Amino acid sequence: MKWKHDRGLEGRMLLTLFLLAAVYLLFLAFLFYSGAPQMFMLLFIGVFMGAQYYYSDRLVLWTMHATIVSEYEEPELHQTITRLCAIADLPIPRIAVVNTSIPNAFATGRGPKNAVVAVTTGLMDQLNQGELEAVLAHELSHVKNRDMAILTIASFISTLAFYIVRYSFYFGGMGGMGGRRKESGGIIAIWIVSLLVWVISFLLIRALSRYREFAADRGSAVITGQPSNLASALTKISGIMPRIPQDDLRSVEGMNAFFIIPAVSGSFMNLLSTHPSTEKRLAALEKLQQELEF
Amino acid sequence: MGLKGMFDSLLGRSKLPPSNTERLFAISTAVVTMEVNLNLHSSGQAGICFKSMSLSQYENTRKEIEELLSYSTQETGTNFRIEKDKYNFLWAILDDNDFEDLVTNIHMISQTLIEQGFSEQILCAVYRFESEGPVYWIYNFKQGSYYPFVPRSKQERDNSMELRLKALIENELPVEKNVEKWYPLWGMPF
Repeated sequence: MKWKHDRGLEGRMLLTLFLLAAVYLLFLAFLFYSGAPQMFMLLFIGVFMGAQYYYSDRLVLWTMHATIVSEYEEPELHQTITRLCAIADLPIPRIAVVNTSIPNAFATGRGPKNAVVAVTTGLMDQLNQGELEAVLAHELSHVKNRDMAILTIASFISTLAFYIVRYSFYFGGMGGMGGRRKESGGIIAIWIVSLLVWVISFLLIRALSRYREFAADRGSAVITGQPSNLASALTKISGIMPRIPQDDLRSVEGMNAFFIIPAVSGSFMNLLSTHPSTEKRLAALEKLQQELEF
Repeated sequence: MGLKGMFDSLLGRSKLPPSNTERLFAISTAVVTMEVNLNLHSSGQAGICFKSMSLSQYENTRKEIEELLSYSTQETGTNFRIEKDKYNFLWAILDDNDFEDLVTNIHMISQTLIEQGFSEQILCAVYRFESEGPVYWIYNFKQGSYYPFVPRSKQERDNSMELRLKALIENELPVEKNVEKWYPLWGMPF
């Protein structure tokens, strides 16, 4: 398979990372020069985020009620992932299952060596082997691309700004470090700048997250060699499937063939979401399928 | 992980390692030592496993492999069959008491797949040996090395025997040093 690089996607990703770094550097410089007492918060949040990063796998498993399953309990799921890992040249991650009928999957962990890939029982029930493989390959691409690490590092300063927005008045109320009178004006300035930084970086991180999703979709296509499998899995999961008539049109009563899902879309919603819209992902996968065939 | 790897991660590039057939032939000399020192006997079966896909180009490649096999097996007297396992992977399974012929045919199939651009989709080549039970030597094309796989009942593998085999054959066969990459293969059709 000769896959071309997706230069457009890579360019957008680099631009986002660059903007994020620029915003962060300016913010840190501003904090430094305003003599903010917030410097020790940097350390505090650093420790906090570090712990979150280090224990990400356990944290996520715990919040999602996911249980690690052995090869003995889920032999087929294990073997499917093992084969994908062999093709992608990854170590076999720990594998977890969440007991819910909602079809979904996620990956976490700070790197390929301590990754966890989890699926819900609903996902295994509703997808066929090819579709399941495509979803697992998408998650393994997240692992291979170290998305967990990249997004954690990217949101570090954003989190700092957020904490300043929330708590700076408490610290200000304590009179900062020296309790000088002119601090109160400074505090307001710091608060406004932090708010701005937080909003901007939040939007940038969301954009980055969406680009990572596109990259993982692409990775799934490369590993499985069948973009169409992921497309049909996404269609099933996002519940567009009912729109595709399974029955002969004659058996479907007049109107039912023309179902319309109320789609929540609009530029504002798109800005805030962590995932690109299913339609966009399907379009990208279709392009990949064409790239393969011709 | 090098700088290049970091950069690829950062940009979310998915690259798969290509297949490497360089050390595939190493097993034909190691087989003597296996017989004499390890008491492992070839079962006369070997297979190559690759990911099945639904592409026209791929279907043509599959046809070509079948044609090549039927031609080459006439020469060597090898029996072959093509099978799909329950994970939707395809297997070309060969049957021949002459071990050399097995290796030659496995090599031919892998070369054909690589030439057709399916280098990344080859999972492995497998040689089956017999001891007290089946012992498989699996060639991982991504690493260009072999590793042992000794399945016992119900998803259990005999790690101690695998490690012993590695220690005894290392000098003659390029064995994968990183045991993390000794991927178990359940549900093999032979």
